Amino acid sequence: METTATLRFLDAPASIAAFKHAASEDDIEATASACVDMAPREFAHPTFDIPAINNPVEFLKHQTSVDAKNRIKIQHGTTTLAFKFNHGVIVAVDSRATGGSYIASQTVKKVIEINPYLLGTMAGGAADCSYWERELGRRCRIYELNNKERISVAAASKLLANMVYAYKGMGLSMGTMVTGWDKTGPQLYYVDSDGQRLKADLFSVGSGSTYAYGVLDAGYKPDLTPAEAIDLARRSIFYATYRDAYSGGFVSIYHVKEDGWEFISRTDVNDLYYQYAAEPKPSLAA
Amino acid sequence: MEVLLGITGKDFVLTASDATVARGIVVQKRGEDKSRALNKHNLMLFTGEAGDTTQFAEYIQCNTQLYRMRNGMDLSTKAVASYVRKELATSLRSRNPYTVNLLIGGVDPKTGTPSLYWLDYLSSSVKLNYAAHGYASYFCMSTMDRYWKEGLSLDEAVNLLKKCLEELKVRFIGNLPKFVVKVTDVNGIREIEI
Amino acid sequence: MARRYDGRTTIFSPEGRLYQVEYAMEAISHAGMCIGILSKEGVVLAAEKKTTSKLLEQMQSHEKLYKLNDYMCVAVAGLTADANTLIHYCRNQAHSYTLSYNEPIPCEQLVQRMCDLKQGYTQYGGLRPFGVSFLYAGHDEHHGFQLYHSDPSGNYSGWKATCIGANTTNATALLKQDYTEECSLKEAISLAVKVLAKTMDSASIGSDKLEFATLSKNASGKIVYKPYTSADIEKLLLDENVKKILEDKEKDA
Repeated sequence: METTATLRFLDAPASIAAFKHAASEDDIEATASACVDMAPREFAHPTFDIPAINNPVEFLKHQTSVDAKNRIKIQHGTTTLAFKFNHGVIVAVDSRATGGSYIASQTVKKVIEINPYLLGTMAGGAADCSYWERELGRRCRIYELNNKERISVAAASKLLANMVYAYKGMGLSMGTMVTGWDKTGPQLYYVDSDGQRLKADLFSVGSGSTYAYGVLDAGYKPDLTPAEAIDLARRSIFYATYRDAYSGGFVSIYHVKEDGWEFISRTDVNDLYYQYAAEPKPSLAA
Repeated sequence: MEVLLGITGKDFVLTASDATVARGIVVQKRGEDKSRALNKHNLMLFTGEAGDTTQFAEYIQCNTQLYRMRNGMDLSTKAVASYVRKELATSLRSRNPYTVNLLIGGVDPKTGTPSLYWLDYLSSSVKLNYAAHGYASYFCMSTMDRYWKEGLSLDEAVNLLKKCLEELKVRFIGNLPKFVVKVTDVNGIREIEI
Repeated sequence: MARRYDGRTTIFSPEGRLYQVEYAMEAISHAGMCIGILSKEGVVLAAEKKTTSKLLEQMQSHEKLYKLNDYMCVAVAGLTADANTLIHYCRNQAHSYTLSYNEPIPCEQLVQRMCDLKQGYTQYGGLRPFGVSFLYAGHDEHHGFQLYHSDPSGNYSGWKATCIGANTTNATALLKQDYTEECSLKEAISLAVKVLAKTMDSASIGSDKLEFATLSKNASGKIVYKPYTSADIEKLLLDENVKKILEDKEKDA
């Protein structure tokens, strides 16, 4: 192809670029050195620095492995859940942060208020979740300024999925639910650091998720009243904290409605234990 | 645990994908469609690494649609399969390859001649009359070997597919209650209930 | 006035013209003529070689007709050196398409890719446009046999019969007069010979001044490109009684 060797403008844009290699060194170099981007910068791929070494994953392993000196223990254990029902979306989370078997905090905010109409939940690496969801919030705001309307939840969750997908295999750890109310009604998406993005009516994420599902699936139906839904969400998280050592602290609950989300409650699981213990168990008769 | 099946008939391709998304031991979703329409007469089904699957499928989908916009004509099934194979082969030798396994089914819009391609993440590509990905191949390939013949009608193909899914229900430990079944013919792609 | 605006290809003149591109077109109108004629059975390309000398080695390879892939060929009018670069690019594009899609490139797409390249040279600074026009003969699944023309500006168009190079006015008139869509390949060949004979400046026509090729289907349905050898052309000229045409032309003059 001698004819085109020195004429880069002639290289036809052969295809839509894959996201996959967005975070390669070339890209980072390109974005760092030149600010004369052709595409709108705000939607350019993340320019988050990666360690300036050959293999970021190996680097991370070195810092987090059991026998590393000054090991970084990444916060992992969590129970979060969210479900759609006829009156919007209920989001409920616990508040415990653990590093290995050590409880680092009992008062973590695991619901991230992206903007008045969007909520994100936090499971996996706390730093990863809060960084990327803040970044998501920034992009959603820019979208709003450009388009004079709020971004849909579908689009917002896709932004997040694409952002983290560009860093796939580099050690990000997050399992998050993005939820909100847009033109098409209440919306709920699951996005994780694999780049997986799912739409469904009900999700639970984290080490305690199986316990939460056990209560939630048994009690869930779309026509719950808001009070019933909130109670179901609270109990689901409570029973998860009861069984899962890595979940605990407080149950925080949010309700997503047409005019934005509303903070419902924050309850100590210890208080809930005594409250629920005093109640009779529900009837199992058919 | 993911299952993809494809059967060619007289003038159509019948495909089925399980609708379950699982992560570890937890089912995250029932009712996921693991396929993307590339153009009017070509459908791609995918399984594999979470994230990679949809990213890759939508990347291919975008590019086949871009091709149509640019050139005013659609790629044939063979052309799509070759293109996808090349993309996978390129990806395989990159720093982080796409780990996706695919079935690509389609018909020639003029003649109705069906074709079905089986591709894996190592970028093998084979044209087959019937194909399966995942554990399904252990259970269903023999069934299809036994019953498949040239020029199946849609009813016959659906019955063959039912035999395969029935076998999975009986012998496969995985619990796959729902499948998304689609027919691709000259009229386009449509989902059917079986 | 022109002087101020033709130094660079990227600059429009006040009348909205791109002089360099127009000059390139002008270069072509002095080149040996190429004719392309489409028939239901195939396409004929014929070309007139301008520079002939007894001392010039008769080359085996063609100077004006080139094969691009198994389904396409081109006739060149203009600077042969420029054409070589473009044909190289074109063959490259055709085969990289086949590498990706396992199918021959649809004719129009290849023409388009060539034209995208040509267009680039009319827009970016410091570059001279390619001084070449092409006639493309091709066949694909989608539209059967096709004939295209592209010029230095990067424009292209599809034709039933057309010509480029010197004396195109006369030749076009003749083509308009005698071309029928239902013609056979043989009739198309005859027409090409006739038009060439009538419009070429020289008094005699021989295989040293002509190039000929056809693209057609053989008995088994395969597309074949047939470049004519000197002997083939001599035979063709004899069969078509070119001598008579030339004599008639002489008389009219």
